[in-house]
Amino acid sequence: MNLSSRYLILLPLLCSSVSAQEQKPEPAAPAAAATVAQPAAPSNSQAPELFGVEFPLLDPASDTVSYKGGVFDVGNNAVVRARFEKYLQQNPDVSEDARKYRDKLEELVHVTQRNARSGKAVGGENMVQIGHGLYEMSEYPPDGGQSGALASAMASALAVQFANRKRDRENDKLQAEIDELVAHTNRLTNLNTGRGGRTPGASSRGNGKGKTSGGNAANTHSVKISHNTRKIAGHEAAQVKNDAESTAALALSKVNYQSMLVSLLLSRRFDHALIGANSYRHIFRDGDTTLKLEKDSQADKLFRNTAGMPPTVNSIASAASTARREVDQHMEAVNNLLEQNKLSDATQHLIEAVAVGEYMSSVSTFPAEKRRRIAEYWSLRRRVLTSLNARDYGTAEEIAKRMKELDRDFDDAMVMSYCAGKKQQSDLALRNAVKALQDGNDEEFNKYITEAGEIWPRNPRLAEGRRKLETIDSHDPVKQEFKTLISRGEFRTIFNEQTRFEVVAVDPELKEQYRDAITLISTIDGMLTQLDVAAQQDRVIGPCMAYEMLLDKKKEDERYASDPLFNDALNRYALAGHDFVQALEQAAECEKRDELGSALACYYRAQCIYPGSRMARAGAERVAQLILQAKF
Amino acid sequence: MARRSKRKSRRGNSNTSMLLIIAAVVVLVVVAGALALKPSQREQSHSLEQGQGFSVEDYRRDASRFTGNVYRIEGRVEHIETLGNDRIVAVAVPGNRQERLPLLVRSGAAGRVNLTRGDSFLFEVECCTGHTDDRREVKGVLVVRNVETK
Repeated sequence: MNLSSRYLILLPLLCSSVSAQEQKPEPAAPAAAATVAQPAAPSNSQAPELFGVEFPLLDPASDTVSYKGGVFDVGNNAVVRARFEKYLQQNPDVSEDARKYRDKLEELVHVTQRNARSGKAVGGENMVQIGHGLYEMSEYPPDGGQSGALASAMASALAVQFANRKRDRENDKLQAEIDELVAHTNRLTNLNTGRGGRTPGASSRGNGKGKTSGGNAANTHSVKISHNTRKIAGHEAAQVKNDAESTAALALSKVNYQSMLVSLLLSRRFDHALIGANSYRHIFRDGDTTLKLEKDSQADKLFRNTAGMPPTVNSIASAASTARREVDQHMEAVNNLLEQNKLSDATQHLIEAVAVGEYMSSVSTFPAEKRRRIAEYWSLRRRVLTSLNARDYGTAEEIAKRMKELDRDFDDAMVMSYCAGKKQQSDLALRNAVKALQDGNDEEFNKYITEAGEIWPRNPRLAEGRRKLETIDSHDPVKQEFKTLISRGEFRTIFNEQTRFEVVAVDPELKEQYRDAITLISTIDGMLTQLDVAAQQDRVIGPCMAYEMLLDKKKEDERYASDPLFNDALNRYALAGHDFVQALEQAAECEKRDELGSALACYYRAQCIYPGSRMARAGAERVAQLILQAKF
Repeated sequence: MARRSKRKSRRGNSNTSMLLIIAAVVVLVVVAGALALKPSQREQSHSLEQGQGFSVEDYRRDASRFTGNVYRIEGRVEHIETLGNDRIVAVAVPGNRQERLPLLVRSGAAGRVNLTRGDSFLFEVECCTGHTDDRREVKGVLVVRNVETK
């Protein structure tokens, strides 16, 4: 049988989960409902149903379930999630009772597998041993009564078999009586026709009497023949009745037992299903193991489609064995992946192992420490999904990074690229909104700002934009004040309140002035800071150098002179480098009066105080050239 | 170091003979005294005086006030600015290293003396006023007349 047990695993579970998602209550599946999935997802309510329940399809390639036209992620399904989280928070079942239970279960599986391989019929003692073992296991609470139910089903089936055998024996007895009656009747008939010997009564009374009473004896035989005939007919009717009862009881017994097996399979009690399936041949010895499935039901289609042959009890045994093996393989993979710190893959394997074989030993004894590691990772995965659902892409990216830290093999490309794309979409819409605002197009602005918020509600630039919008209401007064300050050259006031005046940048012309003012004051502040440091380092040359540099700047750009801090610094350095400043000023004054001898001496004096002075050197060179060219 | 010289004026009186006589007597007395004391200085129109009256600070403030005066100045050459064969020499005077005195050394004024930076010399200078080609006045320039090594 090539049907993967993964198609069987979540059937009852996902039925309820999908129903919960659609908020349409489905009829509860009976515990004994024989259900299987079909490869093609039904897309309408006309799909065939088995016992009133239809089942979804799990796609192992994508871990999604198709149901009624919808596709659901197993890892993001509420019920799957809840059951998996419950499992992660449980302690491993390692008690003494649990160990005994698992040992007994394993023993019965081995016994029944040995019986199944045996060519001989298993005796009643063996079946009684299995039944006792099952009843013993049913006393363990986590068993949930499944063992007892299987034992009862086996006992019921055996009881039917015993009743049938009793009826068979009755029929044999009736047949013997019928044969005797037929023989007796034949003899009486021969006597009546004179072809036979004496009647049984005449033979015991003598020859003379027999001949004289011939007419009356014939009448007597006729009555007996009639009586025998009625009796034969009654026996035959009883035989038919017994046969009919046996046939009906056997058929019902098989259906009941097969239902139990399918129920165990679907409730993921694979060990129990295997025990029941392996015992089937020894309970029903007629050799007929065909599953009595309703024609065209989903279960019938499943088994028929997978093999193309009539489904048998062996199909169930095969499916249970495959599921057990897969679960063990999943758990082996989980342990190996955890050793390699590959939490993402380990989590995925554990989900599938729990979904398939929640009650299996390898799953229920999974250590608590490993459960906690996976629980932490699972929690992050949940938060990523929640964040994505809430369109909180910033948080989703942060969590994805954390998951990447925990598991370097975690493939965060999908999350990160998805978030980046959405954020860019939102930012693009915001940019368009800003452009619309600049163009004065309110309609376009409202459209784009709404779009940006819908794509990424927690976009931080939205809050920034909101603040701008709030301040833009006071746009005109601020604009006027800004113009006034510019005309007065009060750039430092603009700089000090740049946040308030930022709104004027909406106007391209004012934006340029705003930027120039901020740049100017920033330059002045940076320059004054550097000059202060230099002046502190050399208290003689430092102030002279600072003064000369500030004076140069003042000549270069008259806006410098409008800044009070600049002027304060200029005065401060002029005071600190008084002799140097006085020499320069005196030189300039003498130069104006054509007192070039004095002017040159003053420039020399300034150079003596600050040898690096550009102004003194330039002045000295200029005056010296004039003197050299003069005639005396 | 510096020597100050004064120019004496001669006065004449032709109004009265008495006064002429008195003046003549006075002149004779004076001339006779001068010839008796220092006959070589009489030949110069300008007198030189060392160590008295010249201040670099005063010169910086108002150089033209010194116009016409001749001084002998000792100084060390700190800087030389040239134009053709003419030079402006910045000298540091003894006792005042924070000042530089600019002296104009015309071609040939130094004679055979080689003016080099770092060396000290005795400069005989006269405070002059000149003009440029575009008639701009150039006041208070110390023009070197003679240089002696020290």
